[in-house]
Amino acid sequence: MNADDTYIDQVLAPLPLEPSLRTQVEMELRSHIAERVEHGQTVEEALRQLGDPVVLAESYLAAIPLVAAPFWPRAAARLIDAVGVLALVAMPIIAFVALTLWREQGFLIPIAIIVTIFVVSILGALYPVIAEYRYGKTVGKHLMGLRVVRESGARISFGQAVVRQLPMLTQVWWIDMLFALFTDKHQRAFELLSKTRVVVAREEQS
Amino acid sequence: MIDMATGRDDDRKGIERELKRGSLELIVLHLLSHGEAYGYEIVTALTDRTNGGLEVTDGTLYPVLYRLERAGFVAVRWETPQRGVPRKYYRLTEAGQAELARLKQEWNTFAEAMAQLLRQQPEKS
Repeated sequence: MNADDTYIDQVLAPLPLEPSLRTQVEMELRSHIAERVEHGQTVEEALRQLGDPVVLAESYLAAIPLVAAPFWPRAAARLIDAVGVLALVAMPIIAFVALTLWREQGFLIPIAIIVTIFVVSILGALYPVIAEYRYGKTVGKHLMGLRVVRESGARISFGQAVVRQLPMLTQVWWIDMLFALFTDKHQRAFELLSKTRVVVAREEQS
Repeated sequence: MIDMATGRDDDRKGIERELKRGSLELIVLHLLSHGEAYGYEIVTALTDRTNGGLEVTDGTLYPVLYRLERAGFVAVRWETPQRGVPRKYYRLTEAGQAELARLKQEWNTFAEAMAQLLRQQPEKS
């Protein structure tokens, strides 16, 4: 990989996944590096002029205004995800219960219920962590037109994705959620803690 | 030990950096009012027109151009050569011209007020 490819990858890494923004930034950087090379400079000199890739990415991100997601679309997204996980888990469980009833092995039903609760809890906690880390949104957030970002607008890290979901493992998750009604950027308590926020997703115009 | 000379130099650079950050959009819009240009031309035009008094790095300029483009003050055109990488040209839009006039007026008002303030001698008591 050339020095300019590595550099461009470093600038693109924190940017949101919207392809139009990433393509535009990449094309721009390649064009600007080429301009300097055409004027007799080396790629390394051109990259030095562009400066630290992380700072450059942050400068690009700063040009994109972030609009805080309102409370109710967020709650709806959460509900869609919960229903989705339940439905996904419920289908094999219903099949299992039907099978046990058919085979007259009703004593297995309590086991099925325990397994359901267990799997729903695990999936309910793991799914948003993985989806928000990998894609910046869950299915619910996608349908409600929302995405999760760092306060700078950059993509969130795996650690941040985990911290965001910690209250879901406790019984006081609703207190954490209520924070979103009163904070400036509609952030939950654990979003303030993880320095992340949910914003309205808008596909960048190229 | 603190090197005072370096310290002062850093302060001066700090002020210059802050001033430049606040006025970069005005600078870029003004340079583009001379006509369409690509990134490298804008960087070198700034150095040439100010005899090196004002300089900007690519890493500072390009996000500003991106912001101006998003705001609709600058329009862009890609020119694809027969060989090599496409080049991006920037030009002022009508909204950009209006913004330039507004920023210029703001700057002049500020600069005149500052000049007036700094001309005043301290009153002796």
